[in-house]
Amino acid sequence: MSKSKNINFNIYNPVITYEHRAAFDMIVSHLQEIFPICNQGKCKALEVSDDPQKQKQINDLMEKVEFFSNSLITITRVFFDQLYRAKETSSQSISRSTAMIKIDMIERNLLERTCDVRWWALENAFWKCITHANESNKQASKPTAKTTKSAAAAKSNAADSTLKKAVELACKRLEDIRNSYTLYRDLVIVSLDGTIIANSNGDRREEVIGMDVSSEEWFQKALQTKDGTEYFVQDISESKLEKEDSLIYSTALRADGDEQGAVIGAMGVLFDFQGESQIILNEYLPVDHDGSTLDGWYSFFTNDHGRVICSSEEHFIPSGFIADLPKRHLGLKQPGEVLVSTAVIRGARSLVVSHKSEGFDEYKGLGWISHLVLPESAMFERSLENNDYGISPQELMNSRLIPDTNKKTYQEIQRNKGDIQLISINGIILATDLGKAGSSFIPIFDQITTTGNSTTGKMEELLSEMSSDMLQQNLKALENFSKQAIDLIDRNLFERAADVRWWSTDHAFWEALQKATKENLDEASKRLGIINASYTMYRDLVIADLNGRIVANSKSENRDKLKRINVSEQSWFRQGIQISRSVEYGVQDVCNSDLENEDTSLIYCGGVLENGQRKGKVLGVLGILFDWETLAVPILEGCLPRINNEVVEGGAAFYVNSANEVMATTDSESFSIGTKVDVPKENMNLEPGDSASGIFTANDRKYIIGSSKTQGYREYKGLNWTAHVVRPID
Amino acid sequence: MLYSTFYLDGTLMGLPIPCILEIGRAFKIHPIQGAPELVDGLINLRGKVVTIVNTGLAFGGTKVQQTQESRIYILKNNNELREVADPELDLQTSPDNIGLHVDKISDVINVEKDQLQAVPANINHPYYKNVVRRGDEFITILEPEKVLNLNEHQDLIS
Repeated sequence: MSKSKNINFNIYNPVITYEHRAAFDMIVSHLQEIFPICNQGKCKALEVSDDPQKQKQINDLMEKVEFFSNSLITITRVFFDQLYRAKETSSQSISRSTAMIKIDMIERNLLERTCDVRWWALENAFWKCITHANESNKQASKPTAKTTKSAAAAKSNAADSTLKKAVELACKRLEDIRNSYTLYRDLVIVSLDGTIIANSNGDRREEVIGMDVSSEEWFQKALQTKDGTEYFVQDISESKLEKEDSLIYSTALRADGDEQGAVIGAMGVLFDFQGESQIILNEYLPVDHDGSTLDGWYSFFTNDHGRVICSSEEHFIPSGFIADLPKRHLGLKQPGEVLVSTAVIRGARSLVVSHKSEGFDEYKGLGWISHLVLPESAMFERSLENNDYGISPQELMNSRLIPDTNKKTYQEIQRNKGDIQLISINGIILATDLGKAGSSFIPIFDQITTTGNSTTGKMEELLSEMSSDMLQQNLKALENFSKQAIDLIDRNLFERAADVRWWSTDHAFWEALQKATKENLDEASKRLGIINASYTMYRDLVIADLNGRIVANSKSENRDKLKRINVSEQSWFRQGIQISRSVEYGVQDVCNSDLENEDTSLIYCGGVLENGQRKGKVLGVLGILFDWETLAVPILEGCLPRINNEVVEGGAAFYVNSANEVMATTDSESFSIGTKVDVPKENMNLEPGDSASGIFTANDRKYIIGSSKTQGYREYKGLNWTAHVVRPID
Repeated sequence: MLYSTFYLDGTLMGLPIPCILEIGRAFKIHPIQGAPELVDGLINLRGKVVTIVNTGLAFGGTKVQQTQESRIYILKNNNELREVADPELDLQTSPDNIGLHVDKISDVINVEKDQLQAVPANINHPYYKNVVRRGDEFITILEPEKVLNLNEHQDLIS
């Protein structure tokens, strides 16, 4: 047991609640009452017996009682320290993971943006448009002495008309992207001299087209990229393009849309960072009955210079300013570095947790830091939830949720209680042997027993309170993990829904379906192959004609097998042929599909429309087979409960579909795919976006569980899935 | 008279305080090969050899295990008992000091003579002497000399 000198939370620490101070006073004053009683006993020993051996026996008993009383006073001090340390550790661990979740969520999103911009830059309409624009610029700057004025004018008119058409098409395609991927405020393409030629946002077109951005870093750096695999990201900063600070991803447009081609211009995409971050920052913060974040809780990101780039409370912690935090929190250097400290923030003593971004996957990020600030007192508040989970305080106290040091204290209290009881009874035995003379001892030993029982009883009560708080905190943590798990998959599936909508408009696909020549079909397959090579998360991409025959696919090795399959009865195809607008998509829930040799397939579909129009007759269906388990399992693994970065023994996470069947799991032995887990009813029947927690038994073990049901994300409405995160407690 | 109460497999029982020499817990019990099964072994109590009876087995029930809560009653032998106990109480133990291993001890209770009731005939166990009602609970008062009579145990077991 830790000695009293190592006590962090002594009873005078302001975070100790009034109730606990009162309990401490009561325990200590009761124990101190024992000392005069023992003195009285020692005096009586002299009175009632002349036998020195009997006197010594009584004296020894009294001294033993004094020893155990002293020891209980020390334990009481240590006990309060441990109670508060346990709450502190648990709160800090939850806060650390919350700060990490937020930055991880935004970085995962930004990784997608880097893929997007590189892929889009290869689009025919864009490089063709910029080629014309560059030509036109050259013509305008050439001397016209050798040609007649009328010939020059005629040429110029023809060129103007071609350029105009090219710009219109480029704007339309940029709009298509923005309609499919609703995360962008604008997308622009820029000629070599830095003039914006086309944009996606019709409302801002007059203002933006023709703007000179040659002095902007994102444009200059885009021109310096070596090939189509490179991109540049300009950290949040001012740009001529918009009033708000912008986060711009850019890359070069290359001749003939070839990744190795000469640089002919640039593409810049303006991500709605503030809108997206606001959603993320406001998640996982406690709210009052009106849904407003509780006072003193702030969540915000800072950039490499310590400047706030987005905040959950713009009024108190505004963007654009250096965050009012201890400097150490703003200067974290190592990716993944975490700093936890206490500081006075906006007048309140607060816990400050900062997590430096590690980026995600190949996207290394911009060195941003996620900060979470909460009132220090919030760490030690009693949980308001008081659900009966059918678990006894004793069982809870002995469960894995309670740190070993607290269990040891519990055992020590139990042992001392037992010792005091034993001393008292042996004292009573001794007093009885003394006959009438000894009867005056009996009230003394009775009093010792009563005091011992009441003080240890009070301590047990506090321990039980602590274990119930620990249970609540752990349940809340599991709820947060499950919410993170469902949010991450929703956000990822949103991207897939955006991908399929955009790809369905590709010229190669509608051309192949409109005129099914071998050349066109080969081109469509080639194009699908390029997509599949650029985006690693698909197993295959297929195009089916209206009869349900697969006419093109991305993987040549599957082609012969697919040609023999008719998909006209499959859900994704049936949904796809109903689509008449390019902003629509369909999805077939996880199932076993004959399109591939996998246990589970998740297929998104988009309608390929006549002439690539936004609204029109469907010619066929694009189906994309998402390699979803490869994505889902790492997400689930990232949401497992951990202690000191180690996954808790037996901790598991899994997704279930609307029939409550496991679809992806981190523990295929205990919670295997296709089985139904007997989770509590409250966790099974959640409303969209809701979370719940509880206790259940599976595989002869008792588990605590946190569950969250999908609420979808933007245009992706979710498929009624639920994420469950569990950890055993016995 | 005062009684020390204890639990045996959920049943609350009482032993007269004057019969008890002391109560302890952290005794090292030495198992004895060939001893009856209900004997846990021997302990050394300040030079005295004391046989420890597993009270659970003596009652033909679950064996008492050594736990945080289990305790051993060391009973006075008849000579020791005679020295201190009021002869009017008519208490008997055994010629030797014997220990009773029990699951968990509880309170000390004071029972007046008129509160002692006869054991109902249908549960007339040879070790039971009286029954006492305390609130909602019943406490069965044991007759120490019966429990401690190991020869009789043998008969019971056979």
